[in-house]
Amino acid sequence: MITKLMRTGLAAGLLAATALTAVPALAQQTTLTLGADAADIGSLDPHFASSTSDRTLAAWVFGGLVRFQPGSTDPAGIEPDLAESWESTDDKLEWTFHLRQGVQWQGGYGEVTADDVVFSIEKAMNPDTSAFSGDYAAVDSVEAVDPYTVKVTLKNQIPSVLGILANYAGGFIVSKAAYEERGESFARNPIGFGPFELDSVEPGVSATFKGHADYFRGAPQLESVVYRFLTSSSARDLAFVSGEIDASKGLADKQWLARSSAIEGAAVDIFDPAELSLLNINVTQAPFDDIKVRQAVAHAVNPDIFVQYRGPEFTRPGKSVIPSNNLGFSEDVGMYEYDPEASKALLEEAGYGDGLTVKMLASQLNSLESNALLLQSLFEEAGITLELEPVEHATWHQMIRQDLSPLVQYGAARFPVADVYLTQFFHSDSAIGAPGQVTNFSHCSVADDQIEAARVETDPVKQLALWKEAQELIVKEVCAVPMAEVAQVWVRKAALDWGYELKGAMSLGPVVTEATHFTE
Amino acid sequence: MTDMAHPPAAPAKRRARLGLLRRLNLSTWIGLVIVVALVLAAIFAPWLTEYSPSKQNILHQLSPPGDGHLLGTDQYGRDIWARLLYGARYSLTIGIFAIVVAMIVGTFLGMIAGFLGGRTDIVLMQVMDVILAFPALILGLALVALIGATMGNIIIAIAFTATPAFARIARAGVMTQRDREYAQACRALGFSGPRILFRHIMPAILPEVMVMSSLWMATAVRTEASLAFIGLGLAPPTPTWGGMVREGYDNILSSFHLALAPSIAILLLVLAFNLIGDGLRDVVDPRLKDAS
Repeated sequence: MITKLMRTGLAAGLLAATALTAVPALAQQTTLTLGADAADIGSLDPHFASSTSDRTLAAWVFGGLVRFQPGSTDPAGIEPDLAESWESTDDKLEWTFHLRQGVQWQGGYGEVTADDVVFSIEKAMNPDTSAFSGDYAAVDSVEAVDPYTVKVTLKNQIPSVLGILANYAGGFIVSKAAYEERGESFARNPIGFGPFELDSVEPGVSATFKGHADYFRGAPQLESVVYRFLTSSSARDLAFVSGEIDASKGLADKQWLARSSAIEGAAVDIFDPAELSLLNINVTQAPFDDIKVRQAVAHAVNPDIFVQYRGPEFTRPGKSVIPSNNLGFSEDVGMYEYDPEASKALLEEAGYGDGLTVKMLASQLNSLESNALLLQSLFEEAGITLELEPVEHATWHQMIRQDLSPLVQYGAARFPVADVYLTQFFHSDSAIGAPGQVTNFSHCSVADDQIEAARVETDPVKQLALWKEAQELIVKEVCAVPMAEVAQVWVRKAALDWGYELKGAMSLGPVVTEATHFTE
Repeated sequence: MTDMAHPPAAPAKRRARLGLLRRLNLSTWIGLVIVVALVLAAIFAPWLTEYSPSKQNILHQLSPPGDGHLLGTDQYGRDIWARLLYGARYSLTIGIFAIVVAMIVGTFLGMIAGFLGGRTDIVLMQVMDVILAFPALILGLALVALIGATMGNIIIAIAFTATPAFARIARAGVMTQRDREYAQACRALGFSGPRILFRHIMPAILPEVMVMSSLWMATAVRTEASLAFIGLGLAPPTPTWGGMVREGYDNILSSFHLALAPSIAILLLVLAFNLIGDGLRDVVDPRLKDAS
């Protein structure tokens, strides 16, 4: 009898406890927890944020004069952000932006004014304070006409003025007062006018952001966002399946896609920009200073293998030396066909009839490591032994910028106008070791004239023709061999609504906006 | 004790060896059988599989076990059984050679320190203590990161981490033996220091050193696998067991056999070395003998 009473009491207690714990579950979730493929914050100074993870976070904290529509990377859809309106002179050399009034900085730094905008653009133009200064070479001057009007004067026309002033890379506006006050620590204590402000960072564990209550588009629906550093994809998957995180960076891999799509209550976002992976070949280093060897490499690469390996859902074969979403992209640029026998014949002609052994530094980042292994196998069929020297990813970034690897496989997406990618990867001014070094790992200079001419060409048809010619020359000279384009992929709880349809993000990760919320 | 100074005749030696083998327990024999089997598998790998360990076949990626591949294929379509067999070569070579190097160097240094004593002893042992203060994996990791991940360098790095253990045990052995009657007799007969040390004292301490070496081989295999797992092993496409676990980790939720197969191989080899080490210790350690 006593046992029965005890059981009844226990059951009643459990019911009561369940009822009590169920109450908070009815309230809408206001904390978003994300799983990131990053070990820590690098730099949240937006003008130095170049890793995928840092770019993603910068887009939450900062805004630009104009912005890409949330969920889109289409330059045609660029819309007002800090600037309410703008106009340009007929020659497109003077641009005047009219700022929104009453826009507030995070952290109580007051109103955003034209001085902040001038300071930010000048900072972005300065190589000492920006990694993107090369994008602003055409800017002559920036001046504050009045507290709410900014005039940007160009030396010459460029393909997209709004592109360099949008919420991307050097286009982010920083608080002048906060930057001057915080100095170098601004990189870990950023102040912007975006929807979320950095609250705290636990190194190697997580970064927490809180909603910016005075955000000019309205206070965010989410109170906070916790960005957890989980470099292992398996750890992220497990955390997501267990409900520990609400969304997570995925793997561009068909097994991962099948696994994640099968999770009940989960939705997978596959979005642009697809990053184009190129095998850059240093044309100044032996044996690649011989074009026959470079042509042999070009014939050895089969872009379809990368698509087969990852899956066609987010992978496309590379068809030119710039991404296919770029204005100016041309598919008909005379790509070398995959033909390992032709490779062997060319190697024979070049004096490597017994085979060729080459070395390549290989990043241990999952996606780059798998590409390197696929390349190794393709090369073997063509009579080329590829010796990989694996190094940690951050070290690899440093080493390839010192010309320590004659072959560099590099995946990147840039502002989708041909000029940016062509300039950064194939103009001699951007070559490694040059004063304006960017990412021209191949030391290519064959299309300098066409790139420069296209930059100032006002006739769109002629401009497209020049960009096409540049791509043909680069392909013919084999400065780089296209491998594949791989889109971004995240998995999220279906109940998480980003606030827009996620089809693209220039920040390479979901933009958490004031409208992001949970539907349950 | 005089028998140590005057080695017994050859038949007696043979009898002693047979006696040692007879005293080995079942678990030691199991360990020996596993190690011998793995050595044979590594040597005869080309006869045990038709596949190359590095040949990719993207059309057959992640095939389950069976289906033409005994243990299935990995994400690049490479045969897992072939990679395990060829991988045994690297794990065994590194595990055995690293400890042989550590044993020779460590024992030599320990014997010198123990025999000479004084400042030599203090300096050598303090250096060994400094090395011992670092966990084997951390020290191995730092060294490989510094000198590069080639087969020779990994052997050197692991040998470096294991050397102090041998130095310590050799020193202790020499210190207990150097004042025994037979050693004093040798001195009285005018034998040189090196002759006393290497010809008369060394045979007395070698059994303990040998026991230590088999136990450390297990550690060496684990260290090599751990280095490969964190990306500091031999460069791809070399099939190391630790590297296979690393590569299989990303698909562990859907194709767990990718990481499980090499993990079991590592487990077996480490277990085998430990069983051998424990068994030998039981036979050699006089304290355990007395207890039994």
